[in-house]
Amino acid sequence: MFTRTDDKITASQAAVFLNNSVLGAGILTLPRGVSEAVKTPDSWISILLSGVIVMLVILLMVKLSQQFPGETVFQYAGRISGKFIGGLLCLLLAIYFVVLAGFEIRSLAEVTLFFLLEGTPIWAVIVPFIWAGTYLVCGGINSIARVFQIILPISIVVLLISYGVSLRLFNIDNLRPVLSEGIVPVLRGLKPTVLVYTGCEVTMTLVAFMQHPRQAAKAMLAGIGLPLCLYLLTVVVVIGGLSINSAITSTWPTIDLIRSFEITGFFVERLEFPLMVIWLMQMFCNFCSFFFQASLGFSQILHLKLKPVIFVLVPLIFIASMVPKSVGDVFALGDAIGNMGIALFILIPLLHSGIWLLRKKGVKPSG
Amino acid sequence: MLSSIIAYIPDWLVFFQAGIAFLLPVGANMLYNKLNAWGNTGRFPAAAAGRNAARKGKTALPVSQSPSPSASGTPFSGNYEADLQAIRSAIGGNSDVHFREFPLTKLHTKGTLIYVDGMQNDRLLNMRIMEYLMYEATSELLTSPLNALPAMPFSDLTEAADLPGFNKSVLFGHTGLLIDGLPGRLLIQYPDGGNRAVAEPVSEALLRGPRLGFTEVLSENTSMLRRQGFTDQLELRSIRLGNTMQKDVVIAYIKDIVNPDLLREVEKRVSTIDSDFLTESGYIEQLIEDNWLSPFQQLQNTERPDRVMSALLEGRVAILLDGTPFALIAPVTFSMLLQSPEDYYERWLPGSLLRMLRFAAAFLALMAPALYISFISFHPGLIPTELAISIIEARQGVPFPSIIEVLILEVSIEILREAGIRLPKPVGPAMGIVGGLIIGDAAVNAGIVSPFLVIVVAVTAISSFSIPMYSAGITLRLLRFAGMLFAAVLGMFGTILFFLLLCSHLTKLKSFGVPYLTPVSPFRLRDWKDLFFRAPLSLMKRRPAMLKTQNDRRKSKV
Repeated sequence: MFTRTDDKITASQAAVFLNNSVLGAGILTLPRGVSEAVKTPDSWISILLSGVIVMLVILLMVKLSQQFPGETVFQYAGRISGKFIGGLLCLLLAIYFVVLAGFEIRSLAEVTLFFLLEGTPIWAVIVPFIWAGTYLVCGGINSIARVFQIILPISIVVLLISYGVSLRLFNIDNLRPVLSEGIVPVLRGLKPTVLVYTGCEVTMTLVAFMQHPRQAAKAMLAGIGLPLCLYLLTVVVVIGGLSINSAITSTWPTIDLIRSFEITGFFVERLEFPLMVIWLMQMFCNFCSFFFQASLGFSQILHLKLKPVIFVLVPLIFIASMVPKSVGDVFALGDAIGNMGIALFILIPLLHSGIWLLRKKGVKPSG
Repeated sequence: MLSSIIAYIPDWLVFFQAGIAFLLPVGANMLYNKLNAWGNTGRFPAAAAGRNAARKGKTALPVSQSPSPSASGTPFSGNYEADLQAIRSAIGGNSDVHFREFPLTKLHTKGTLIYVDGMQNDRLLNMRIMEYLMYEATSELLTSPLNALPAMPFSDLTEAADLPGFNKSVLFGHTGLLIDGLPGRLLIQYPDGGNRAVAEPVSEALLRGPRLGFTEVLSENTSMLRRQGFTDQLELRSIRLGNTMQKDVVIAYIKDIVNPDLLREVEKRVSTIDSDFLTESGYIEQLIEDNWLSPFQQLQNTERPDRVMSALLEGRVAILLDGTPFALIAPVTFSMLLQSPEDYYERWLPGSLLRMLRFAAAFLALMAPALYISFISFHPGLIPTELAISIIEARQGVPFPSIIEVLILEVSIEILREAGIRLPKPVGPAMGIVGGLIIGDAAVNAGIVSPFLVIVVAVTAISSFSIPMYSAGITLRLLRFAGMLFAAVLGMFGTILFFLLLCSHLTKLKSFGVPYLTPVSPFRLRDWKDLFFRAPLSLMKRRPAMLKTQNDRRKSKV
């Protein structure tokens, strides 16, 4: 067929989709969050460890989804654990995506109001952004994946350049000593670092959209590997450049690092501007991904058409983003989302895999 | 617990805003659907697929009712006098139609030549054809009607099927021939009206490359395509379109390369065109494009036969219309709009450099004023301090906010440019000097705009001139103003939103089923050889993957 009618994505598109769902707010906040918990310069080990954990989680999700080719978690969960429990869990997951979308857009608005548009009413930042996202999400998963494909290379190039230039402030002593207080602080850092990978739940729906679901495991691991590397780089560069104490005290440590030096003789003296641009675009990707997942979830659970659901979600996401009253509330919400993510992980992929295994193994000998 | 939850419920203003946030996309979506359904009536069926069945029934009616000329046309009677009379009464009223009756001496009968003034080669008609008919034509011509046609020494000879068809052809410039005793009514001699000479394409000038451009005559244009090289695979299919005045449309493709699905789609869309008269190929373009609400063109127009031929060899399809030098190429992708044939004629390093330059120019033409507005009005802190100080000093006397300032200069430069196209050639440069230099300088001196802005606007204008496709340039000009509005409202944030919206739109857009942004997304690494960068010809071994051609090897050995 010359004209494609199916709305499927390739393996590389799926990987980019996962990557752009995960890579987002963490770029700016992760160094503070993890340092607060670890309190020693070992946070990069926490990132690595949690990355490995998340990879295992994703592998589990992929394996589970592969049992039901062409079906998203919202469709197959009911078949595993029964209509009621499965439906309830999926509803929870969809609400989780709405809250996540609201959180992403709120943190975006906070950063924008702080650095770019001081004094602008917050709705004036949030609403146009939601509208732009709505336009994209209405185009379906293919359009979203394609936009991600355009934005990702730009983001990576700008990020690498910003970090590369900031290496002039890098001091290896800021990262030493390694494991001075043993492994305990590293384990304390696991929770806040797992939080930055929130969004990896999209795996459970992405596999259904893949043209070749067999490649899912590879694609998803690649999709999570890239943000893992970038987050690792972020933490190493920021803590190496700023030292752990200033990373804890600043609200957006990465921007502070990039703002703290000037490149003379260049049109843009400080790289905070390109960094802000790509971060905004990355947040847009994040937001659109969760927006799409949420609308997909509601439409599949309640058996509605996708488009009306998207439109109904617009005001819900707006209200969700307006609930926190201050930046502190936003961060608290971020923590809550992380906890919710962990809970959902235990409830959905782990529980369902368990039940699925029990049914398969349990039924065969008896029946 | 409960009170803390209640404390977090936002106040009614937020809910009001949420309502607005909900209503606008819903309204926009409804408007879009309405507009789309409304604009798609009378377009090809796939575009109108979203309409409901009732509407389809309505639009199908006029098609079935419209009289098809070939079916209802009166046939010839076969009687010489009666047919001549019928023709006379139908088209004899035109002052430029000539009926030249003459005897056929050897046959002892008579005939009539019917032709229109100025549309024949008079010398050929008088000297050769009349001479042959009057003195040389022998009686064998009439003995067997089957033998009559091949026996006549004319290379262009067809027998008209019915009276209206005959009349139309005569008025279009064919020469009609009636002979007493011969039942067939013949059309000899193709039209040979006044044409302009073949000239260099005006809209796509190149320094290096063929100087040949299409003309207004379809047969000349198709012959130019044929003359590009020896092949038996170039196929030209002709369709006659138009309800009131018909015109020939030719669909050209390479038989063993083009994807048959693409070809079928193009033929389907072209053949369902329902229009009074196709003045220019722009009519076809607008009637068969995928999305008529998009600012981007979905077919490429070109005057260059070499460009058409290289597109055909990539697996694309060309549409040529009689009466215009502009051929259409489908499908088109975004990158094609910024490519020039010269990229391939020059060596690969300069070719790649120029191409990247053009991409940069397109970015500037689109974004420069928006960036200026957002930096000056919203974030002077983001540009280097010294530069910011000097810009702000230069802007000191300007009484307007930057958006008004930019609009003044942008609108006047657009007017200047529009005027420059209309003016006769000797006056154009003079106006450019008056408009560009004097007005710009005077505006700065009068304190209406800042000198820095003059630089920005001038760079923008020059950048948009460097876009090789005129119609793509117009699109970017249009979008530039949209970008300026976004920047004026939300600064850098607005500019980024504008960029994201543009990306979203482009990824949704398709041209004949090919995503508009291929090969960037969907990502096709193979086609990146010919995107920002023009790889050496020796590396271009295969045709673009996006077109799914039947045979994708450009080289005999890969």
